[in-house]
Formats: sequence, structure tokens, C-alpha cells
Amino acid sequence: MDMINDLRRLCTAVGVSGNESEAAAVAKELLSQFTSDIRTDALGSVIGTVGTTGPRIMLEAHLDQIGMIVTAVDEKTGFVRFDRCGGTDRRVLAAERITIHGEKDIPAVIISTPPHLLDKADENKSLPFDKLAADTGLSAEEAQKYIHPGDRITVNPRFEVLRNDRVCASFSDDRAGVLTVLRALEILQNTDHGCQIIAVFASQEETGGSGAKTASFGVEPQEAIAVDVSFAAAPDTSDIHTHLGKGTMICFAPGLSADMSRTLVCLAKEKDIAYQCEVAGRSTGTDADDIAISRAGVKTGLLSLPQRNMHTGVEIIDMKDIEATAQLMAAYIIHRGGQRND
Amino acid sequence: MTDMLRTLCTIDGTSGHEDAVRDYIIAHLPTDCEHRTDALGNLIVFKKGKSRAKNRVMLAAHMDEVGMIVTHIDADGYLKFTTVGGITPGVLAGRTVRFANGTVGVLGIKPIHLTSKSEEGDLPSTDKMYIDIGAVSKEDAETVVALGDVAVFNEAFMPLGEHKVCSKALDDRMGCFALLQLLNEETSADAYFVFTVQEEIGLRGASTAAFQVAPDYAIVLEGTTAADLPDAQDEKKVCIQGNGAAVSFMDRSTLYPPKLYKLAMQLAKDHNIPVQTKTMVAGGNDAGAIHKAGAGVQVLTVNVPCRYIHSGSSVADMRDFDSVIELTRLLLGALADV
Repeated sequence: MDMINDLRRLCTAVGVSGNESEAAAVAKELLSQFTSDIRTDALGSVIGTVGTTGPRIMLEAHLDQIGMIVTAVDEKTGFVRFDRCGGTDRRVLAAERITIHGEKDIPAVIISTPPHLLDKADENKSLPFDKLAADTGLSAEEAQKYIHPGDRITVNPRFEVLRNDRVCASFSDDRAGVLTVLRALEILQNTDHGCQIIAVFASQEETGGSGAKTASFGVEPQEAIAVDVSFAAAPDTSDIHTHLGKGTMICFAPGLSADMSRTLVCLAKEKDIAYQCEVAGRSTGTDADDIAISRAGVKTGLLSLPQRNMHTGVEIIDMKDIEATAQLMAAYIIHRGGQRND
Repeated sequence: MTDMLRTLCTIDGTSGHEDAVRDYIIAHLPTDCEHRTDALGNLIVFKKGKSRAKNRVMLAAHMDEVGMIVTHIDADGYLKFTTVGGITPGVLAGRTVRFANGTVGVLGIKPIHLTSKSEEGDLPSTDKMYIDIGAVSKEDAETVVALGDVAVFNEAFMPLGEHKVCSKALDDRMGCFALLQLLNEETSADAYFVFTVQEEIGLRGASTAAFQVAPDYAIVLEGTTAADLPDAQDEKKVCIQGNGAAVSFMDRSTLYPPKLYKLAMQLAKDHNIPVQTKTMVAGGNDAGAIHKAGAGVQVLTVNVPCRYIHSGSSVADMRDFDSVIELTRLLLGALADV
């Protein structure tokens, strides 16, 4: 795989929660290198199976991205009103470039309050969603023709290779996770891993996890490892002690399988894979929470890619962490396949 | 035609670093004019028109744009900066910037998940922001960036709708583009065309340029703020995009001579050029320095209304630009012969 190029393709494909089809097409195409057994379920999750025997282990990442959704088009001015769809951060939207996915893709700019209209005290306040609007440059008539309530909006994606294998990639939450699962499949491609691997790229994580819930019901795995992004330390974060480039984040949380978390740590040590531990006191805030309680319960682990600036257009990840995470997933699959043969 | 505007906007030129903009303009000057660059970097062009001007007329637009300058590199390789010109935190957070050597940096922000309810929606002030180039240490960062290096918004030029454009630096490459366009046609009278430096940090270039040219009249071509946005009160909109060239009677730096303001409005009316009054006393521009130069200069400002000015994505309407060109063409002839 050409990791940077594949990451670029995944991160720049459009797929806001509930309408992931374009991102799904890219994910399917990349997945087809490893299996021809690929389907899309009723909610839009992409499911690919590799191998026919052995423990059924699901490797999961979510396919959807945060975005916005059109609520109205002003009849007089053509300004487009919208709300968020998923946890979009309103602080980074002033004068931001977006695309409205209407009857055709319409480029637009989100309004920004000029300084002369700002009281000094308001300079550091961002507008709430109901005061934001998108400026398409179209007449009201044209705007109404192409744009309708319910249309999704995405921030125009940025993809910039920074220093030290770090990449600024909008929507690497969680397309970098999708890439990680694909890379794990590549590592396992010519091994006798002894498992039936089900790769799941789930829809609708950012709006509550419906995709993972239904996909794991449909897949019925024995075990699962989810991969998502999590917080990496930055100058303005406090109490975050996990770092970019320091390896995969192995999560310990009450709802996850402690046994799996410990096994992942042992394997990372044994294979000399860079890792760091992350601990959640309650839920993990990822699809792992839903997968673990699917049907009669699924032993579930969670690996995270450390990320800066989550839920903004300048999310940063480190390619080394993707590799470490994929290596650890692959090591776990080989370990479980080996247990069967024992 | 917009190819030239696209290139002009895409060139980096924060205040004090206008060289590349100036080089481009010089390369696109017609052969029938004289030009020189002064000590501060102002480009002063003289072009003969059809008739000898009775008065000395100067047209001015500034080459510089707002940006960021690196003030400190910390132990972890993050760059601290200050803004060059006025930029509000809201248009910086979550964007990327670009240095002259191609290095791209990110203006990060603490994830929304980690902010408390009480600080919801609050932006860090610019002095709390930092540029993240992916460096892992001070030494690592210093291989590509040094103190004093400047960065611009890392945004491309794009058309918006049928008539509009979206770009960084429309303030005031719009004005530069207008001057270049006028220079490349047959003008009615002799005139000085001045491309100034350092407007955004206090109208510094215009002051020395006007001193040298010592004009009788000056016309400043600017991109000015248009606040014709939803939820904005009418009296605070300043000007309306699409309603034509915006002419100022007063801003925070200048009281414009009423007879010049009236002349501009009358000429527009007589020639059916869309024109509007810049309605609020807001902002300032090179006219503030020019009118005080030497023994005093009578000035006028003709503006292209720009939304989201001083961001990486300001928006202007090319129809307004066309009105600015038409009106300026007439004003040049009129002021030369008043």
C-alpha cells in the first residue's frame, strides 16, 4: 500500500454521518486488494471478510466524518443556514471554506463577523450554530435551486505532510483508522494467520454509533478490536499524557475486555511495537462501547491513534502510530489464530 | 483576466516582505512607463496619458497583506507568533499557514471534547496560539524556520458563484490588480501609480511615497470590509457586496474633502456606474497617511467591498471591481484637470 496516498484518498472522500457512500466506495476499493467478499449493510457500513476458518475477529474503524447539515436557504439573500451533524467544533468555522453537497457540489465560505461589529469582549467568542451561515456567492434563486434542507456540508479537507511523518489530515478521525485496518490486512496477507477476519468500516459513529451497533450484530464476531483516534498532548491540553509518534494507544476501560488489553500490551512488548496506555473510567466514547455489548457480548479491545486538534479541519496524526497500531492488530490476529492450532 | 488576480493574491507578501509582489507587478508593467523602487520598497510608476495633466494625480494601492511572524520557538518545537496586521482569533484557529520556503504549519486548538462548559465557544487569544509544523524539538524546528520568518494563510484562490472570488489577500491585491489594469490601457492623463508597502502595520509606505510624489490629488484603491451579513443591522453593514464601488466620506484615518466625494458620486451617476457610500466610519487606509504628506493632499478612496476581510477566505464581487475600475478611470481624468 502507498500509505500516504491511500490516507489522502480516504481523508478527502466525502462521507458525513448517515451519507457515507463516497467514502465507502474508496474504502471498498482499497479493501478489494485483500478480499472479494465485501458487502454494504442496511446502514451503510462496509463489511469485508478475509479467511474462512478460525476465530471470527472483527477489526473495526468508523467510516463517517463530522460535518454539517443544511437547515434553510434564505429566500431573500441566499445565505444558507445549517446545524452540525456530529461534533463539529464551531470555534474553527469563521471564514472557513466548505462544500455544500446539494444537487451538485457548491463551494461556499462560512460567514465571519468583521472586527468593527465585535465588542472587544466578543473577539474571542465564536458564533453559535444558529447564527452561522454559508455564503455561496449565488443569487437566492440559484442557491434555492441547488441546495435543500438535509444536504450535508463538509469543511474542505486539508492534507499536508508535516515534519517527522506527521500529517495534517482533516477527517483522519477516523479514516486513519480505516487505513490502519487495511494496513493490518496487508501485513497478514501472506501469513497463515488462522483467523476469519471481518473488517468493518462502520457508518454513523459521530452521531451515536448506530453503524457499529448494527454491523456487529450482523457480523456476530467472537472478538473485536476497534481503532479510533484519541487525544495527543499539545501546548494547550493539560492532563493529556499520550503523545504523537509514541506508538499505538492501548485502552483500558471497564467496558473493554481487560484480558484483551493485557494481551495487547504483552504482544506489543514481545514484538517491540511502540505503545502507550490510555485509561478511561467509564465509556471509551468510541464504537468499542457498542460492539462490546452486541448480541450476547463480544470481547472487545480498543487501539487508538494519538491525534492533535480532534474535530477540526487540522487534525494531525503520525504515520508511525498507524504502522504500530496495524502491527499490533496483526500480531493479535496471529496470536489468536495460533491459539486455535495449539 | 482573473488569472492575474489569482496570481497576485497567491503571492506571499506580508508587511515588510512585499518583494515578490513587487517583482510580479514590475514584470507586468507596460513598456511606456517609468518606474522606481524607493528605500522602503514602494514601487512608484509614472505613465504619460493622452493629455498633460494640469494637476499631479497619484493612484495608490498597497501590496502588503496580513500574516504572522515567528517570535519564539519553544523546546518542543512549537512556534509562537504575533500577527502582522489585524487578524482575529476566529479566522486563525484550525487553519494552516505557509512559510516562504514551503513549510506548512498548523494553528491547533484544544479539542472541543476537552473544553469545559464554561469556556464553550471561546477561542484562545492569538498570544496563546502556536504554529505546529510537526517538529519534535527546537533544534528540529530550527532546521526550517527562524525567528522573524513570516507566514501567510495557506489558502488557494477560488471562484465563488458566478461573479465572486474567494482568496487570501484580496485586501489589497484587488487594488494592485486595478492599478495594473489601468496602467495597461491608454490613460486620459499623466499620472503616478504607486504600489505601497506596510499599509497593514500603520500606513507606513504610503507616507514616504506621497512625500516623494508630492501629488495634488490622490485616489486610494482599497478592499474594504463589507458586513452585509445575516443578523447584521443595516446601519452597520458598511457597504453591500454587488452594489458597486464604495466611496468613503470618512473613515478612522481620513476626512475626505466633500467636493471630491461628491465628484465621485456625480461621475458615477452621470456614467451609470454602480456606486455606493461606505456608510460607517470604520477602518482606515493609505489615504490617512497620504493626505498628511508634505503640505497636504486631497484624497479619495474607492473601495471594493470585501466580506471576511483579513482572513484566508475573503470574498469580493468582480462586478464591484469593474465599477471601481470604471469610476477610477473617470476620476483620474477629472482630477488631472480640475
